Amino acid sequence: MTIYEEVVFVSKTYLGPATEQFIARQCKLLKINPPQLAKTDLPGLAKWMGVGAGLLMDEKKAQELSAKVKSL
Amino acid sequence: MKATIRNKLVWGFSGVLLLLASVAAIGIYAVFSLRHSAQDATRIGGRLNAMALEIQVHNLEAQRRVKNYLLQVKSLGPEKARELYLDEADFEIAAIDSLASKAVAIAPTADKREKFQKIVDRAGVYKLALAAAVKAAEKDPDSQEATVSKAAYDQAADQLHDNAEDGEMVGREASQASQIDIDVTSRRSVALTIGISFVGMLLGATMSYKLSRAILVPVEHLKDVAENVSLGNLEVAVRRYSDDEIGDLADSFSRMVTAVKFFRMEAEEVHAHDGVEGQ
Repeated sequence: MTIYEEVVFVSKTYLGPATEQFIARQCKLLKINPPQLAKTDLPGLAKWMGVGAGLLMDEKKAQELSAKVKSL
Repeated sequence: MKATIRNKLVWGFSGVLLLLASVAAIGIYAVFSLRHSAQDATRIGGRLNAMALEIQVHNLEAQRRVKNYLLQVKSLGPEKARELYLDEADFEIAAIDSLASKAVAIAPTADKREKFQKIVDRAGVYKLALAAAVKAAEKDPDSQEATVSKAAYDQAADQLHDNAEDGEMVGREASQASQIDIDVTSRRSVALTIGISFVGMLLGATMSYKLSRAILVPVEHLKDVAENVSLGNLEVAVRRYSDDEIGDLADSFSRMVTAVKFFRMEAEEVHAHDGVEGQ
């Protein structure tokens, strides 16, 4: 399982069908190609995912998602 | 174990069934207990009463035979009179002794046992008085000693009669005491059954209220959220009320709302970008 697939797997429970597009959007902001996500990219991705998810869901859940991605 | 709706329902109904089974068990216990008490009442009270009556009959028979003996000892001679009357009287006295001892063994309380023990003791006194009266009568039936001994014997016979009457009373009282036991047991059983039923009803009502709240509150919340989303308001928070099937449904719904929000946001951005490029 690649890092990208792991991030998708963890995020799926929070974002459902929008997961892949949401991750792609955050990766675009960080100028990363999603399938080439590396472990070193995770802290930055987790931070932006937390910010982006905060616009879509309540802050607590967004931070929960961010922490899960960061801990991968 | 997870508190799912299914588990809540299973445990709730199991609890109600258990309560109903308890009430039924108490009812059965009450019936059997009453039956047992009734049997005791009939058996012990009736037996004591019957024994006391039998003692009375044996006492009267013994007195009749002794009276005949004392009247005819002079004309028939001691040996013939003894053979005709006294041997039978001895048998009656032995029967009194035996019956009273048996009554002591089955009497339910100490005071009742004491009454029958008095009959046993009195039978002993009666035997001694009879022996003295017989001895004096065989020596000289018209003597002063024979008269005194006969009076002592009569007194012992009367006392034995009185004690046997007391025994009869004790038998009746034993029946009544058992009747009181039945009343007490039945009152206690009825109170217990009513109490348990009341607690069961209270628990059933509380359980129904909690169960309906556990299902209705999150369902009503989801209904409100669905209504808002269907009208285009995506800024609604989906709450997870409980860790059960409805909680899982809330999570799924929340995911769906998040995705719709995201897609709408993306669509708005694309639209805005197209607008900017168009200008």
